[in-house]
Amino acid sequence: MARYGMLIDLTKCAGCMACTVSCQFQNELPPEVHFIKFYQQEYGTFPDVSLVNIPVQCQHCENPPCVYNCPTGASYIAEGGVVLIDESKCIGCKYCMTSCPYNARVLNEETHTPMKCIFCFDHIQEGEQPMCVQTCLGGARVFGDLDDPESELNKQINEKKARPLRPDLGTKPKIFYVW
Amino acid sequence: MLQEKISRRTFLKATALAAGALSVGAVGTFSFETWKKAEAEKKDDIRVIPTLCTGCGNFCGLNVYVKNGRVWRAVGLPQHPKSKGKICARGHGLLATPYLRQRLTQPLKRTEDGNFQPISWEQAFREIGEKLQEIRKKYGPGVIAHISYAGQKTAVWYGQRLLWALGSPNTFTHAASCYAGRGVGFEHTVGGTPGTDIANARYMVYIGRNLAEGITPGDVLELAKAREKGAQIVLVDPRVNNMYQMATKWVPIRPGTDLAFVLALAHVLIKEGLYDAAFVQEYGYGFEQFAQAVEKYTPQWAEEITGVPAATIQEVARGLGKNKPRAFIHPGWHGATGTQYANSVDAARAIALVNALLGNYQKEGGLIFGKTPPLGNLNPAKYPAPEKPAIPRVDSEWPLAHDVVTAVPDKIRDGALKAIIVNRSNPVMHYNNPLYAREAYKLLELLVVVDIFMSETAELAHYVLPEVSYLERDDLVEGVGGKKPIVAMRQQAIGKIHPETKASWEIYTGIAEAAGVGKYFNFTLDEVNQAMLAPTGLSLNELKAKGTIVLNSPIVLGTPKFNTPTGKVEFYSTEFKAAGLDPIPNWKPPLVMPDVSKGEFRLINGRQAYHSHTNTTRNPYLLVLTEDYHGDRLWINRRVAERMGLKEGDWVEVRSEVATGRVQVHLTEAIHPEAVFIYAPYGSLAKNNPGRNFAFSFMTLLPYHKLDPAAGIALTQEVIVTLRKI
Ligand code: SF4
Ligand code: SF4
Repeated sequence: MARYGMLIDLTKCAGCMACTVSCQFQNELPPEVHFIKFYQQEYGTFPDVSLVNIPVQCQHCENPPCVYNCPTGASYIAEGGVVLIDESKCIGCKYCMTSCPYNARVLNEETHTPMKCIFCFDHIQEGEQPMCVQTCLGGARVFGDLDDPESELNKQINEKKARPLRPDLGTKPKIFYVW
Repeated sequence: MLQEKISRRTFLKATALAAGALSVGAVGTFSFETWKKAEAEKKDDIRVIPTLCTGCGNFCGLNVYVKNGRVWRAVGLPQHPKSKGKICARGHGLLATPYLRQRLTQPLKRTEDGNFQPISWEQAFREIGEKLQEIRKKYGPGVIAHISYAGQKTAVWYGQRLLWALGSPNTFTHAASCYAGRGVGFEHTVGGTPGTDIANARYMVYIGRNLAEGITPGDVLELAKAREKGAQIVLVDPRVNNMYQMATKWVPIRPGTDLAFVLALAHVLIKEGLYDAAFVQEYGYGFEQFAQAVEKYTPQWAEEITGVPAATIQEVARGLGKNKPRAFIHPGWHGATGTQYANSVDAARAIALVNALLGNYQKEGGLIFGKTPPLGNLNPAKYPAPEKPAIPRVDSEWPLAHDVVTAVPDKIRDGALKAIIVNRSNPVMHYNNPLYAREAYKLLELLVVVDIFMSETAELAHYVLPEVSYLERDDLVEGVGGKKPIVAMRQQAIGKIHPETKASWEIYTGIAEAAGVGKYFNFTLDEVNQAMLAPTGLSLNELKAKGTIVLNSPIVLGTPKFNTPTGKVEFYSTEFKAAGLDPIPNWKPPLVMPDVSKGEFRLINGRQAYHSHTNTTRNPYLLVLTEDYHGDRLWINRRVAERMGLKEGDWVEVRSEVATGRVQVHLTEAIHPEAVFIYAPYGSLAKNNPGRNFAFSFMTLLPYHKLDPAAGIALTQEVIVTLRKI
């Protein structure tokens, strides 16, 4: 069984949000619900300034506080290490939302249950790439199997010395960033 | 912890897909097992239709997935050179277009009291046809004009045929507010605007061109590849734009002075012998005069004007020179060389010439003139073709330009234009000083607007004709030139949402018949498309099956051909000379300059990754991004703002010589202190546009300028503003 992960190379990211919007259509989300959010950081003073845009979504942590804090088992780790939510078991307590340090979960206002990136779970089973990977304009996103040493994902993680966001939080995210 | 950024506004919910198109949470909240079971039971009918986007002028190729008769998602076509398998946020968001609540659903006629009354197509065609005949009889055919979006081929082709049939040459596009400066500058210097071989370049300079926000998806992909191979990417821009993350250097420049920067690059390349002398010798015309002219444009001279240190100018020139011919300055689009300044056309010419100094034309990693695909036309024996009218265009005082839509308000005021048909364009809002334009357009005896939304221009029209959206129609075959020419076409992905809407080609045919020129329209769209495809040997069915087809005739690199009167790169322009203009792109300052000591700023604008025009601000998916990321705030240099007592998010009144606007400020170090910046598409004045409530439109603050004599461009950044906290 694969252990799915992703790499986002910020030196190839245009901050264009094509990933955000393509994800909404793929997952049939309403306009105001985003699984991929952006955080912008600015450093320095004019004229020595730099700007960075960081796309953030569910990190599919190996040590996921959302799963541990879910009282009903609605949040769970599925095949391939993908973190999913079983709506039928969800009581809408939002513990998972507050315990996610990456702010990756959003509320479905109609069902009052949380939602988030699912790595396009159903589609990757059929061999498709997640939608954000397919559409990424700069080709900044690489998806694959972390257990396969030959995978493009592992190659790039090693070559580019990619690291997760806030590894200090101890959640062991499976999305790796290059910056 | 990361900050919460989601916010919700009920109006967005209300405008979103009223018919319940994309329902909440089909996937994402179920377990996979539950989902799979539900999906299996549903037995979705999924069809994939290759077509073309309409989000901007690129018209990327895309596969639209239609699930149970409704648009679901889209993926870029890999063989289309603009998309290269990718489509941008706008392209995705626009998939909701057919279902938007604000769509026009039936033909409308404006009544005496200014309201609109629904009428039948028969009545609309009959009355428009009669009025056109009457106006033509009274004033002659030259008072009729057509305005469309340049890339919208069906509107351009049918609109021109209709106008020619009526006897008028006056067809206009939006170019004069977009890329016309670059077009005119390059055309009269090197014979056309080349493409860029980004993936193979080693040193690239982007001056006021921002691939990450004025997006062509395929170019972004190439840029990322080049960067990975170690290419140097230099951004010359008064603000840090989103390309920054992919670039290697930002050169902040005083807005409006790009021409001085480029002239100084030419100076260094020549002075230090870094230019390709053999190329200049073989392909250049008038190089000696140019070299003499740029002698005075030293880096020190340019530092004074641009605020860029002389050492930086030298560094960039050497970077270009040492990496030639795999080095270029991007020709630009709407930015510094497009339509922004009184010196934009000269900036475009200077950039064309620096590229010639690098000898990069028709070379790998340089600038490449593509090959145009061969497309045919209807056989005139069977389908009578109208002749090109012999009478002069109303804008013939611009001999170097193709069309000067910016001159239309004055031409109406002069009485030179009486009737205008507008298709998928919004000329009242998209050019300088919309209030001035609005008053002019009100003087027309006939204004017909074909659109899918009630735009500012449609609100003034006598007749508003509702078109089907791009996902509900076939369009004319497009040929896209490039290293490998392609043919592509937009085709219908879903059934009509509103029965009383029509495709443009049906609308033009209806108007033509009613105006007594129906004999020029005795064919269907399919028949034109078949005729266009004939020389390629492809059938219409083949093209419909694939959407985009690459023709097997790539260009051969090496020897460039310059389509100028001398057949050479004109360092000394014979056509500019003939038009009474400076044959050499010497330094000319912009039209206006802010007096910083009086608290004045130049108001600059640009594209945003998730919007194109006022039209996209009707899209709930794109508008929510504006809201969540404060995309409509006015950028101001943090230290300047703090001196003025401003904080992030404060409201200010922005005042120009013609109008005021209200906006919240964004404090940042990433902008030149002499400029304030706003993204282009906001501040719609149209009553039913949700984007109406966002910021202001920079166009409303722009004076209606006396236009530049070469290209008639809008001079969209020649405006000084002051700010007041409110
Ligand atoms: S699509 Fe790719 S380039 Fe665009 S914002 Fe997302 S990660 Fe960045
Ligand atoms: S760049 Fe984006 S909006 Fe423009 S045509 Fe391509 S996908 Fe559509």
